[in-house]
Amino acid sequence: MFDFFFKKQRQVESLIDSYLDNLKMTEKHFDEALNTCLDSGICDRFDFLTEQTHKFESKADDIREEIKMLMYGKALLPESRGDIMGLLESMDEIPRILELVLNMIKTQRLVIPDLIVLDVKELIRVSLESSDLMVKEVEALFKGSEDIRALVATIDQNESHCDHIERRIITKIFDSNLDPFQKIQLKDLIVNVGEISDQADRVSKRVNIISMKRRV
Amino acid sequence: MFSLLGGIFLGWSLGANDASNVFGSAVASRMLKFWTAAVLASLFVLLGALLQGQAGIDTLKGLTQLTLQTAVVSSVAAAITVTIMTILGLPVSTSQSVVGAILGIGILKKQLNVMGLGKVVACWVGTPIGGIMIATIVYQVLAFVYNRLRINLVQSDKLLRLSLIAAGSYGAYSLGANNVANVTAVFVGAGQLSVFSATLIGGLSICLGILTFSRRVMETVGKKLVRLDAFSALVVMLAEAMTVHFYTFVGVPVSTSQAVIGAVLGVGIVKGINTISRKTLTGILIGWVLSPVVASFFALALDFVIHLH
Repeated sequence: MFDFFFKKQRQVESLIDSYLDNLKMTEKHFDEALNTCLDSGICDRFDFLTEQTHKFESKADDIREEIKMLMYGKALLPESRGDIMGLLESMDEIPRILELVLNMIKTQRLVIPDLIVLDVKELIRVSLESSDLMVKEVEALFKGSEDIRALVATIDQNESHCDHIERRIITKIFDSNLDPFQKIQLKDLIVNVGEISDQADRVSKRVNIISMKRRV
Repeated sequence: MFSLLGGIFLGWSLGANDASNVFGSAVASRMLKFWTAAVLASLFVLLGALLQGQAGIDTLKGLTQLTLQTAVVSSVAAAITVTIMTILGLPVSTSQSVVGAILGIGILKKQLNVMGLGKVVACWVGTPIGGIMIATIVYQVLAFVYNRLRINLVQSDKLLRLSLIAAGSYGAYSLGANNVANVTAVFVGAGQLSVFSATLIGGLSICLGILTFSRRVMETVGKKLVRLDAFSALVVMLAEAMTVHFYTFVGVPVSTSQAVIGAVLGVGIVKGINTISRKTLTGILIGWVLSPVVASFFALALDFVIHLH
């Protein structure tokens, strides 16, 4: 009935939907790129998927800027504006980390040794699952579709699981006979992959606080 | 018509100052655009004045017998009081200034309706207390309902924004209905205006103040109060409107500033936080005592000057 009052709100909602879709696409290309690298090493397909991941990461920045401009145009109440801007800044770390990991592999010509391939695959799977759940949680905040607290708990569990896998991989790396320089490179890579679930957990907790703040 | 200028000036300054009590917190915290607030406030002030302004006019004109000259004196004395106290940065109540000025004239002419005055003073005491009580109840009732609504962030945002607009409009209606008597009641008492003309001219002069000079006051005065979240701001606006509207039925013009302060205190009580500083409260108390006393003094002084010739 009062929709004419809320044109900017609708635009914000639609842009946040686009942002989340874009984030899913970034994750999808990252997943494919990393698994290609693990299975076949650095190849044309990996380069192509890395380039695609970069494109989606850039698009995420553009959408975020567009939302920011709408917010400055006074869409939503001031406290909601602050919450959403903070949330977007925090969420935007994830595509940045995904791109960073692929670029580390590409520019440093990293080769993942067989002894950690399975563990790395597991780390990626759980990290991206956390990121997916985080997207669902953000959708729940804007659409009220799912139980936010249940998602927070699962993401928190995943984060602990990822920490455990990360420690296991780093131990294996340093127990191996790999070149010391390669060990440092691989450790940095694993720490960055582990950052995905850490950041998803931070975003998840932020969403929970935003949701709790709306109870009076 | 010239004799009405004092009243119109008083109405203008009332509109410029008191619109901030109705929409100030929403505009200052950028929940609402100034022009949306100003246009809504003007419309509803006029509506309130025309539909329910009569009761206050009957009370004020009954406080003493007024001639056209004493009506002009009391209205100018009240306007001077409001202006000087605003310039000095002291919290001032237009309602108390007007009654103080009428009181000064009444004392001078030895024609004071003590019963009517008692009712008015009782309502002055009751305004902040009413604000506290109503805000406490409204907060709990609205929180009970709001927490049970299954709505997402955007829906909650829309609901709060629409509610703020509705509460502000209701506040403006109450302001017009309750405070229009301050502007033109003395001229009805002096036989210069009919009740309808008084509510129309009074309402329009308040609107003029809102549309021409309330922006700065809304943006600065609103920020001087504690920064409230949207839900608390809604409770404050609604409680202020209900308090002032209640006294409209009683027929006594009261201070919207005092109703707002009471409502903010009430929200603080429910949330268990300190919403108003001791300094602000002291300022309000000083304004509460000084407004009628200073206005009485100016009314007496003006009458004395006029009778020198």
